Amino acid sequence: MAEATTDPYLPTATDFSPAVTEESIEQLARPSLSYWQDAWRRLKKNTRAIISLYIIVGLALFTLAGPLVWQVDPALQDLNQISQPPALPRDAVVVETYARWPGVVIEDFPIEPDEYVDSVPAPENVRVVEAPSTQRVRLVWDPVTGAGGYNVYRNQRAPHSINDLGLPLGGTMAGNEVSFEDRLSLEQRVYYYSVVPTDGFDEFDTWTTIEVTPLLSITRADAVARGLIAEDSEVSDGDKIKLEFHPLGTDYLGRDMLARLMEGARISLFIGICAPFLYVLFGILYGGFAGYFGGQFDQLLMRFADFVVALPFLLFMILFKIAFGIGPGESGIIPMLIALVLLGWPATARLVRGQVLQIREQGYIQAARLLGGKHHYLVIRHIIPNTMGVILVTLTFSVPTAIFTEAFLSFIGMGVAPPTPSWGSMCNEGVKTMLSHPHELVFPAMFISITVLAFNLLGDGLTEALDSRMRSRE
Amino acid sequence: MLNYTFKRLFQGVITVWFIATATFIAMHNVPGDPLMNDKAVSAEIRRNLERKYGLDKPVHEQYFIFLGNMLKGDFGISFTQQNRKVNDIIRDHFPVSATLGVLAVVFATIGGVLWGALTALYRNRLPDIIIMFLVILGISVPSFVFAALGQLLLVNINSWTGQSILPVAGWGTFGHMLMPALVLGLGTMALLTRLMRSSMLEVVNEDYIKTARAKGLSPTRIFFRHQLRNAILPVITVLGPQIAAITTGGFVVELVFAIPGLGRYFVQAVQQLDYTVIMGTTVFYGAFLVLMVIIVDILYGLVDPRVRLQ
Amino acid sequence: MTEHLLQVTDLEVEFSTYGGDVKAVRGVSFHVDPGETLAIVGESGCGKSVTVQSLMGIIPMPPGRITGGSALLRGKEILGLPPRQANRFRGVEVGMIFQDPMTSLNPTMTIGDQISETLMVHRNVSYREASRRAVELLERTRIPEAKNRARQYPFEFSGGMLQRAMIAQSLACSPSILIADEPTTALDVTIQSQILELMSELKRAENMSIILITHDLAVVARMADRVAVMYAGQIVESGTVDEIFYESAHPYTLGLKDAMPSNREQRDKNLMPILGSPPDLFDPPKGCSYYARCPFAMQVCKPKMPPRFTFDSDHSHYARCWLQHDDAPHEERLFQQGKRDVD
Repeated sequence: MAEATTDPYLPTATDFSPAVTEESIEQLARPSLSYWQDAWRRLKKNTRAIISLYIIVGLALFTLAGPLVWQVDPALQDLNQISQPPALPRDAVVVETYARWPGVVIEDFPIEPDEYVDSVPAPENVRVVEAPSTQRVRLVWDPVTGAGGYNVYRNQRAPHSINDLGLPLGGTMAGNEVSFEDRLSLEQRVYYYSVVPTDGFDEFDTWTTIEVTPLLSITRADAVARGLIAEDSEVSDGDKIKLEFHPLGTDYLGRDMLARLMEGARISLFIGICAPFLYVLFGILYGGFAGYFGGQFDQLLMRFADFVVALPFLLFMILFKIAFGIGPGESGIIPMLIALVLLGWPATARLVRGQVLQIREQGYIQAARLLGGKHHYLVIRHIIPNTMGVILVTLTFSVPTAIFTEAFLSFIGMGVAPPTPSWGSMCNEGVKTMLSHPHELVFPAMFISITVLAFNLLGDGLTEALDSRMRSRE
Repeated sequence: MLNYTFKRLFQGVITVWFIATATFIAMHNVPGDPLMNDKAVSAEIRRNLERKYGLDKPVHEQYFIFLGNMLKGDFGISFTQQNRKVNDIIRDHFPVSATLGVLAVVFATIGGVLWGALTALYRNRLPDIIIMFLVILGISVPSFVFAALGQLLLVNINSWTGQSILPVAGWGTFGHMLMPALVLGLGTMALLTRLMRSSMLEVVNEDYIKTARAKGLSPTRIFFRHQLRNAILPVITVLGPQIAAITTGGFVVELVFAIPGLGRYFVQAVQQLDYTVIMGTTVFYGAFLVLMVIIVDILYGLVDPRVRLQ
Repeated sequence: MTEHLLQVTDLEVEFSTYGGDVKAVRGVSFHVDPGETLAIVGESGCGKSVTVQSLMGIIPMPPGRITGGSALLRGKEILGLPPRQANRFRGVEVGMIFQDPMTSLNPTMTIGDQISETLMVHRNVSYREASRRAVELLERTRIPEAKNRARQYPFEFSGGMLQRAMIAQSLACSPSILIADEPTTALDVTIQSQILELMSELKRAENMSIILITHDLAVVARMADRVAVMYAGQIVESGTVDEIFYESAHPYTLGLKDAMPSNREQRDKNLMPILGSPPDLFDPPKGCSYYARCPFAMQVCKPKMPPRFTFDSDHSHYARCWLQHDDAPHEERLFQQGKRDVD
């Protein structure tokens, strides 16, 4: 008889009665999920893709709902706050309207020195008269014997040598003119003013530096005009009032960065999403027709697509944009959109054509055809659903490309026309003041990068989720 | 292989013709008038100028003259800088752009292959995670931001060390080229790294790698002889379009770093509506890129026996 | 017990996936002696390929991992060795050929180079010498114009030629075992026959052992000395080729036989497919894995795993089936030792 090697169980007689097979033989290994359910399940597991999705929703809210919350005119210039970094609301001192300052001239001091000397002492008693404000800073010093004039410099840090005094502001041409008024784009910050005596032409190598912090100021008339205070309010000179709040600072014309970023988002995202949508749609139709009809027709259409692909993309973006022209007062968004669509479609067309050709030959299409499936049934039930995944991925990856193109063109000054802000044109403006006011470049650049990043990561996630090879690999 | 080369070259010529035609059509639809740029011109001078540039002839005649001149390699005379030939402009400024572009492509390719292979090797471990994070950044940050940041970095390095380590702008020495080429190649390098990584990971799952392991080859040998070589192929195929992207992307870098390249010239010509310079530069760039794509295709054929021998 | 050339005991392999661990191989034991051909038969996905690939150390890890068992080659453990040590036997003692020759050779290397590579690595010979021997190997596998062929790339070869080249490559270092993982599945029927012919010839000439993985009983009948029938990650029946064909002791073996076309007897008989599909190995059944599809299923089969019932003293023929138990009812078509005359 048969001998069991290991027999931990001793069966009883009833064990050997025939089994009642209650369950189906065709048991399913795992719960069955539709293609899209399965893709969604895998996308949800991809943390990066989901975070990206949230970021995109956030950007949409920022763009659409943002202007409702932050109702500031993006074109309004706040001349008291130019190129301000992000900060809490600022106080400004109300000052009187600017009046000319005659300066200080010492009558009993010689205009020119009696005799020329090799060196003179540094000016003494350099001081600020009247409260320094961003409207003006007024400096006065004691006359220096032997001097025939004075030069005044301004620096943003303490100078360490005579070659490091900073910006030459100007000076006086007489030994007895011992005052200077600075009105050159003053900000509320520490300045180091240096006074260097001259013999009328050349500077001596002595100087005196003082530290001055002008207060942010606004005239009453300005404040009223900008609606900061009522016309009949009690505010008088010397009082403090709150200036407009610019949470992300202002640009070089004193425009609110946050409002401009929102306005810019509208432009950039409009182009970034509309253009891909349009050219992917066109590409689907073009590629779909080519693939579905095949033969000579297909060859002809695809040859043309090959030519369009060969056009140097950015050069032709520029050419088309100027060919469509921008009239005065137009923003140039529509020409850019048209140019993008004209040049962008071939990639999708090729892809869709390839897919359609491939799917047309698949067994399940043949099977459906043999079962009597009509043309439109095949297209709607089989071909479209099976190309949707690829199309969705293409669409997602097209958005960053379009946003980049817009930004690139606007950056080299070929994009949307000022004063319309877009993230790219804001970068273009910001790069000019990059060294002194980095925030004007950083914010729009950050918005471009985050948007592109989010769409790229979402695209990656979708590719993985929709890839049927990944499906079987698990 | 020779047949293939000729076929590709023939296709290239037709493509360049298409580019030239598209350029011509686009430029003839530009509103505005190149002769009305700054000053009012009397009717007589205007007629003379129109004759000089051939603008008085019917459009189709202009087109054929244009094509004929292109064939001869003559791009005409600049509108804004009279007496200067477009050919001269291209000859003076293109080498600068080309040097910058070639340097950037070399840099991007070497970097991309290296980093891509490295990330695949250290898959899901720290080096991979760090590099892939940088790659994602590289893909998402526009080139002009890199250019600006690169310049800012140079300014800071120079001011920090108190001497000029690398020049901040301009052109001439290798030092001038280094940072612009670096920032120009960064985006492409990120892209190639990603491609190389996924290509490497795909190749790892190929049957012939299994065979190689079953043959008892060492991991190093499998990596270099079997994996790397096959993984580079898809990277080469995207090199053609990427060269195009880098060349035109150079415009921005030329602007930021004040490099006297053709890109900067082109932007200037567009702003001044300098017809002949725009047309000449576009067709020249187009032809150059078509040639580059053909060269890359032939190169690919040399690496992949399947293309070479069929 | 005498030492076998290769002795595999209780091999267990798992793959981690998102749904949990798949127990692909569940306690597989077999042995191979010098000069014999062992065929491992079973449906797709029953763990045949995983078994041999884990012996070679070429299953992807992760997600795969060997969770138990041992494999002794000439008495030395070969499971879970680091690559350097594994490479002392891979390609030297054990050669392997794969199912799809089209994708199993490096597309960017010439055939000759791929063969000589093995020789250069293991035999430490010069490139010139290795190339010369590569041509010899190609000649031995009957590739015409071997010298020119060696300089060609895989895409220039037909499927049958490629499989010959694969065999030439695996024979480079005269291995004592050749593992052939469905070597003819991807080939035309006429080519199949030639490849099998070549394999048996080389086996005789080299006194080599072959582990042949297949789902084709006709191939088994032609090639094998002994057979192991695998189902759901287990060997359900094992024996000599005659025992398996004429004394089938497991209902699954019977099922496979019924599904095989035959040109001798019962010519008018319809082919009988085995209904249903193999169980889900995420959560393998507690009892007999064939229970759900078995025409003779009994009460005991569902909750209790059948032990190995061995039929003869040298342990060569055994089956995992409760029907082999003394108390089990008699089934006409099944070989049940000791019940022959019960009727």
